[in-house]
Amino acid sequence: MKYYLGIDIGSVSTNVIAMDENYNVCFSQYIRANGQPLESVKKGMKMLKDAIGCEDDDILGIGTTGSGRELAGVLVGADVIKNEITAHATATLHYHPDARTIFEIGGQDSKIIILQDGMVTDFAMNTVCAAGTGSFLDHQAERLGVPIEQFGELALTAEKDVRIAGRCTVFAESDMIAKQQYGFSKAEIIKGLCTALVRNYINNLGRAKTLKPPFIFQGGVAANVGIRKAFEDEVGEKVVIPKYYNVMGAIGSAILAKEYIEDNQIEKPSFKGFGQLELEFKPTSFECRGCSNMCEVIRVISSDNEVLAVWGDKCGKYAGTSKASRTAGR
Amino acid sequence: MKTSFPHMGCVTGYKVLLEKLGHEVIMPDAPSQRTMELGVKYSPEFICFPFKVMMGTYIECAEKGAELIVSSGGAGPCRAGMYPDVHQKVLQELGYNTKVVVFDSMFQDFNAFYEKVKAVKNGTPNRKLPGLALFCYKLIKKMDKLEKQMKIMRAYEINQGDYSRAWKDIVKMFEKCDTIRDVDRTYKQALEIFEAIPRRKVEESRRIRVGIVGEIYVIMEPTVNKNVEEILNNLGVEVENVQYISDWVEHNIMPKWLPFPKSHRVFRMSDKVAPLNCGGHDKENMGWVHDFAKRGFDGVVHLMPFACLPELVNLGKFPAISKELNMPIMSLSLDEQMGEAHVKTRLEAFTDLIKSKHYAKQKQGIGDAIGSAAQSAARKAQSKAQEVKDNLAASSHTPIKQHAK
Repeated sequence: MKYYLGIDIGSVSTNVIAMDENYNVCFSQYIRANGQPLESVKKGMKMLKDAIGCEDDDILGIGTTGSGRELAGVLVGADVIKNEITAHATATLHYHPDARTIFEIGGQDSKIIILQDGMVTDFAMNTVCAAGTGSFLDHQAERLGVPIEQFGELALTAEKDVRIAGRCTVFAESDMIAKQQYGFSKAEIIKGLCTALVRNYINNLGRAKTLKPPFIFQGGVAANVGIRKAFEDEVGEKVVIPKYYNVMGAIGSAILAKEYIEDNQIEKPSFKGFGQLELEFKPTSFECRGCSNMCEVIRVISSDNEVLAVWGDKCGKYAGTSKASRTAGR
Repeated sequence: MKTSFPHMGCVTGYKVLLEKLGHEVIMPDAPSQRTMELGVKYSPEFICFPFKVMMGTYIECAEKGAELIVSSGGAGPCRAGMYPDVHQKVLQELGYNTKVVVFDSMFQDFNAFYEKVKAVKNGTPNRKLPGLALFCYKLIKKMDKLEKQMKIMRAYEINQGDYSRAWKDIVKMFEKCDTIRDVDRTYKQALEIFEAIPRRKVEESRRIRVGIVGEIYVIMEPTVNKNVEEILNNLGVEVENVQYISDWVEHNIMPKWLPFPKSHRVFRMSDKVAPLNCGGHDKENMGWVHDFAKRGFDGVVHLMPFACLPELVNLGKFPAISKELNMPIMSLSLDEQMGEAHVKTRLEAFTDLIKSKHYAKQKQGIGDAIGSAAQSAARKAQSKAQEVKDNLAASSHTPIKQHAK
């Protein structure tokens, strides 16, 4: 079997998937990164190798996406390094070609993508605030002593509505405490939180956009049935959750890699091999003293002291000093 | 006198002009992290982002001993009109003896304008001024022309960074110019340098073009807008910016009823959607968006400082305008909190969006052409058949008519 791989390195999780030539997902793994994206990529790749028993030659191409896409792209030797919006839209359109609106809520960011005739026509990402993202829910679940996995189901059991301020995480928290003191139950508070999160999301990202069905909801938070219910109440339509909702970005980047390789008829993918992953990679950073910008320049150095990639310099002084030039635009 | 000016895009023109007037020029550095920190620290909290960056630059210049800071003004209803006085006051409070002189339009109040000229001309005789002004105008005109060219060619460079490096050298070459002949010669040399850089060949139909509109300071100063133009160029997109210093000068010196420079026509183009000017360049920008759509651009990137009033007015209008013109418009609101990674991700996604739209339009265009050709052929055949029928009918009738006569 031959595979295309997709890796999505987000802020909270690293997702690795393998897809065969007919777009069937053969392997998918959602790994909590715990602040160590490189380690989790290595771990994910190792799990993939063990699970499907593939060799270096079986890999036809790799795509990376997510906020750590450049670093991971250098590490594994990606053919395509793409932004999250394009990757998510590509994957959704593969499973739901008629999709018009995608809600995506991840660990640290959320986005809305508007599609028409199988094309992205508009998008928005949350810009400044982490309110209404996965890590906020995570934190609140922890505070309430409810495992995040049961969070959504508990919300569905609520009988009454509680209105919680969702504009800002800090205010939401103090509002929650107040409501708890008024004697509302845990389930009601959680439901209020879900509604607040969705309200905030639609107000922030859906502003000046006409949202049309079919609606697709994906990203890690889509596992939460409470949020899904809140979305359905808000838009008044059924909200579809794709089968691989939590690894859609990775699937999209694998599809993009496949398209790229096939369109350009590339014989040899730039995959560096599983053996390469065993080697030590050292991302180091230093403060450039060239000017008062004091850029934090990040360098990835391989075990044989070769500089694999450099970024972070605002002036472009270090561009081209590494082995791999920046390939974000491909 | 030790003189300086704010850093806004390419500043060679200001430098050469002040040197010719006999000033000792203190070159401002491009705004860095420190500049912004200084600016944010000593500015009123809710003032515009450009004010804060310029404040930082002024403080840095004052630290280096500048006695005079020269800038061009924005006497308008937006907050830009109060920049000079507040800058002056903050500098004074910090204990610097630096004087801020800001030139407003000479048509508004010529006497005030001339007073400022007297303060800046540093004893240069009046008869020399027109020649000097002409030389500096030529210089900025040529440099802007090159910069515009670069933002198109750089989209296709093979080795990333070639054009930006070449541009740095070219700026140094222009700084050494002394006469108009020098300027012309340097311009030719620069063009040759640009031509010699290896580029990909791209078919006309695959060119992706994006226009940049927005508040003048943030669209002109790359360090403030996180280098939006270069990021777009590196993604293989041609960029056209609407503001250059030479265009600004032309726009402000030429009478408004003339059909040139182009900005006058563009200004009027927006009359329908933006009958009033709200202060900054909002009306003009609206006109430019229409102009870009007319010229078949694939998209527009709108840059605005966070909470800039005139551009906020435009921001509200853009969703409807974008729909009407069928051209995607992306707005980025910039301030000191803006992360580079964020800008890059958004621009990448935007580029993907306009690229897929561009190619889809082309395919559809070919389909439409075939469809309409078939339609018109069918229509022709139909009308031909009708004609024949009519003729037949007519010929069968005419004999009778003739008989009747």
